[in-house]
Amino acid sequence: MIVAERRHLSEILKNIEPYNKVLILGCRGCVAICSTGGDREVEIIATALRIARKRQGKPLITYEATLIRQCDPEYLANLPELMKDAEAVVSLACGVGVNLIADLYPDIRVYPGVDTLFFGANTQLGVWQEKCRGCGDCIIDLTAGLCPIARCPKNLLNGPCGGSQNGKCEINPENPCIWHLIIERLTARGELDKLNEIWEPKDWRTYLGESPRKRIREDLIKNNKREG
Amino acid sequence: METRSHLEKILKKGHFAVTCEMGPPKNADIEILKKKTKILKGYVDAVNITDCQTAVVRFSSFASAIIALSEGLEPVMQMTCRDRNRIGIQADLLGAWGLGIRNLLCLTGDHPKFGNHPQAKPVFDLDSIQLLSLVKGFKEGRFINGEEIKGEKPNFFAGAAANPFADPFEFRVKRLAKKVRAGAEFIQTQIVYDVERFKRFMELAEEEGLLDKVYILAGITPPKSFGMVRYMKYNVPGLMVPDELLKRMKEAKDPKEEGINIAVEIIQQVKEIPGVKGVHIMAIEWEEAVPEIVKRAGLHPRPMEPEIQPPFVVEKVVEVEKIVEKPVEKIVEKVIEKPVEVIVEKIVEKPIEVEKGLEGEEEMDKIKGVSIEFLIEMITNLKAGLKNLQSGMEHIEETLAEIEKQLLGRKPKKIEKVFRKIEEIPEKKVEKIAKEERKEKEIKEIKTEVKVEAKPEIKPEIKVEEKPKEEKEIRKPKKEIKEKVEDIGKTGFKGTYRDLKTRAEGLSEDLYIDKSSGKIVEVEIGKGEKAFKVGGTEVLPFYSFEGNTGQPLKIAMEILDIVPEDWPETLTKYFSDVFHDPGLWAKKCVEEYKAEAIGVYLIGTDPNFKNLDVKHAVEVVKKVKEAVDVPLIIWGSGNAEKDVEVLREVAEVIGDRGSVIGPIVEANHRTLGATAIGYDLPVVASSPIDVNLAKQLNILLENVGVNLDKILMDPSVGALGYGIEYTYSVMERIRIAALYAQDIKLQAPFICNVGREVWKTKEVGLPTDDLWGEAEMRGIMMEAITTVCLALAGGEIFIMRHPKAIELAKILFNSLS
Ligand code: SF4
Ligand code: SF4
Repeated sequence: MIVAERRHLSEILKNIEPYNKVLILGCRGCVAICSTGGDREVEIIATALRIARKRQGKPLITYEATLIRQCDPEYLANLPELMKDAEAVVSLACGVGVNLIADLYPDIRVYPGVDTLFFGANTQLGVWQEKCRGCGDCIIDLTAGLCPIARCPKNLLNGPCGGSQNGKCEINPENPCIWHLIIERLTARGELDKLNEIWEPKDWRTYLGESPRKRIREDLIKNNKREG
Repeated sequence: METRSHLEKILKKGHFAVTCEMGPPKNADIEILKKKTKILKGYVDAVNITDCQTAVVRFSSFASAIIALSEGLEPVMQMTCRDRNRIGIQADLLGAWGLGIRNLLCLTGDHPKFGNHPQAKPVFDLDSIQLLSLVKGFKEGRFINGEEIKGEKPNFFAGAAANPFADPFEFRVKRLAKKVRAGAEFIQTQIVYDVERFKRFMELAEEEGLLDKVYILAGITPPKSFGMVRYMKYNVPGLMVPDELLKRMKEAKDPKEEGINIAVEIIQQVKEIPGVKGVHIMAIEWEEAVPEIVKRAGLHPRPMEPEIQPPFVVEKVVEVEKIVEKPVEKIVEKVIEKPVEVIVEKIVEKPIEVEKGLEGEEEMDKIKGVSIEFLIEMITNLKAGLKNLQSGMEHIEETLAEIEKQLLGRKPKKIEKVFRKIEEIPEKKVEKIAKEERKEKEIKEIKTEVKVEAKPEIKPEIKVEEKPKEEKEIRKPKKEIKEKVEDIGKTGFKGTYRDLKTRAEGLSEDLYIDKSSGKIVEVEIGKGEKAFKVGGTEVLPFYSFEGNTGQPLKIAMEILDIVPEDWPETLTKYFSDVFHDPGLWAKKCVEEYKAEAIGVYLIGTDPNFKNLDVKHAVEVVKKVKEAVDVPLIIWGSGNAEKDVEVLREVAEVIGDRGSVIGPIVEANHRTLGATAIGYDLPVVASSPIDVNLAKQLNILLENVGVNLDKILMDPSVGALGYGIEYTYSVMERIRIAALYAQDIKLQAPFICNVGREVWKTKEVGLPTDDLWGEAEMRGIMMEAITTVCLALAGGEIFIMRHPKAIELAKILFNSLS
């Protein structure tokens, strides 16, 4: 899922300073699961904002809503309706949601309520860990399913570096050296030879080279047209 | 035989090669580089120039390599993948080859996290093996993208690093093989201390058939001190230090000498291992050791003089410099008069004279077997050592004299000027007087002028014994507590302050400096003019020699919402006139005792005590708020439920003052947390003396939305003699985790509620007697010392009660920082 973290209240307050009526818009997707932007958080933030503004002597009216997803125009369709009385919206979705709102509704003033962090897994209650960086050219078929791009701080493709010791990463011994794990797995499978090959430099275009990236499925576009 | 560099020639001819490392300076001074080159020249075949090692910004390896070259020492330029992408790397390599650099060491590079710019975006577009392939591609006339290089192609003598001591061990040789296949022609290994493991590594390399394909140079580092080897053993990943070596360094009388011996021994041992073609000496910031090691290992003189072609621009560089030394007019004349070529010639002429002088010096050096620089440094060190010894002796003398005086009532002459204070006071008898009428004498605040010694072991001299009777008798001035406290300020810390750097002169910084990578967040307390911040430190308490110590320590004065019932008289006498009104009480603290913050303890609301209602609390807080403008710290009764009721309403009153509320415990963190974010107030997060519970509470609060920069951690403190050791060790552990293990959830400042713990102890209540000494001073000492202990453990803001104890604590803080 996309893991995000709640922004500091003072930042949100600064953003909405000019307004008296604000919609707090949650998302039931990833941010709800990582306890950052779901129904509950919408309520907490709305309350906190109201108290804070009351204290500043500029009471705030909040409207609360949580959409199924904010990264889909379909679910955003009734946003103008929700915004009837509000002057601005604080979106608790990841950056994708905020951007899409901004794209679709140039007149709506939208502000991010969270900092979007990474693609991660919820490894235990209260802990999320980055596992993939969306590099656009997956190589973990060769590394026993473990990603050296996201999980080796030096992005080594011919690891491990000289700092790997006792299976721990030298950069942060709380993390395993992912290359150590890769070698362990491949050894167990009798496939260590795979690593004898020199791994060519990665073509980073699929990652940062030509952003923003876009994915197109012609067939779906066509079907869509036919139906529409 | 085609060779590209001197190093290659040495290796190809089968000589045992010697290279070493040279770290460029952290400034733009090329003289430092020239000096280092001079020390090394003639002792090594080539010198490695590090590329911002440990990710610390330094004079660039490329430019330093050019300087070495121009000084006649062949460089091995190191190139890492940390700071440049494939475009930058290739550009630099073209330039380096063009300017005459022939040896290249290809590395991945240390992660920025370890350096002095951890904020930097790491590049790592390539890794070391891909870099080697790139260099190989150059030889074949291709850029990394496959495009042809038309014209001059770089053809470096390419090397790589290998670490036989990292994990997984078996894979290390495979990785070496990969490097060889990628184009490594020589290898410099990680430091070898564990010769046995290195031998096994070499055997595996032999089995892989690598020994004929690559020249392996064993890494050698002379240990400089016991501290350094211990540090390397426990803190440097991928380095193995046998216990035996630790022992040798610990027992060594002259650690540097022993270090050199060890290096020489290891060289002799690795020389016998088949396949080892040379050594690479890494004497970190101790380049002077290299000639000595090389000589003692029997590797001097080097088999061949290098034939080095200085890079063409360098003559000019040298020239410009030489000219600058001369009077300005002349330069101008010359420059204007003569065409460029002639100037260049001139330059070449002039340095020859200088060079002759140098040669002479070098001759002398050879006779003595030590370089002049080395001698000079030795003598300077010796001098400094003697000075230290002298000042140490003086100090002992003074102390002895003082003891003599105390015991025998004598006044030794020698120390008169040091003990100015003592001199002023004529005769004193060691008398104990139980209770003294207190008259505040108007003595101006005298700031500590005596420079203080930062060494913690030096204890303040406190003259408790002076108790002459009558104020009128000028010859026996009466010593009030206030004066005593001041005395400590004036005479308590003797000696001249010398910072750690001076005292550790001659030691390399990395032996005693262990920089943290974390930072305690800053919490702002209060609003407006009197607001202040606490936290912000990046080092352990008072370790100012390691870096930023953050915001100054703060002390808040505590008042109660009711008239105190169990305070001893030694404390109540300062406030009894204002007990009836919390507003006046707070005002007195601020106006008379200069409190920077006020702690309001709502003890009366405790359901198990007076169970006063919310209204009472609100009234008290209102009064205090109106009476003073310093930041407030509102401390509830500690009853989780009642505190929710009370603090909620109180927050409404003090919200606009940014006052701290607390204590928040796990049971009420949700409700009080919401209150705090609502009013944007900092909170006290209290947990019962436990690292994990403290962390958990911070996490819980963050989940509710209270950010770390609004949290003051209260680890639950104990007074001196009442469990302070537990508090101390827990605080210390929390702080180390926060700074060194980047446990971000623990990076909040500490608040220590000292006063209430101290003033409920039995000792502060006992009357003055012969055995226990004077009651009030005892209480003051207990409170001040408890506070200082907790400050040493990491405490940042303290709530205290006795005005004199606060004064004393401040003096001690000042002396320590
Ligand atoms: S290789 Fe790329 S796509 Fe695959 S897991 Fe790693 S970052 Fe994600
Ligand atoms: S220790 Fe392992 S995970 Fe960490 S940087 Fe080195 S190779 Fe990557």
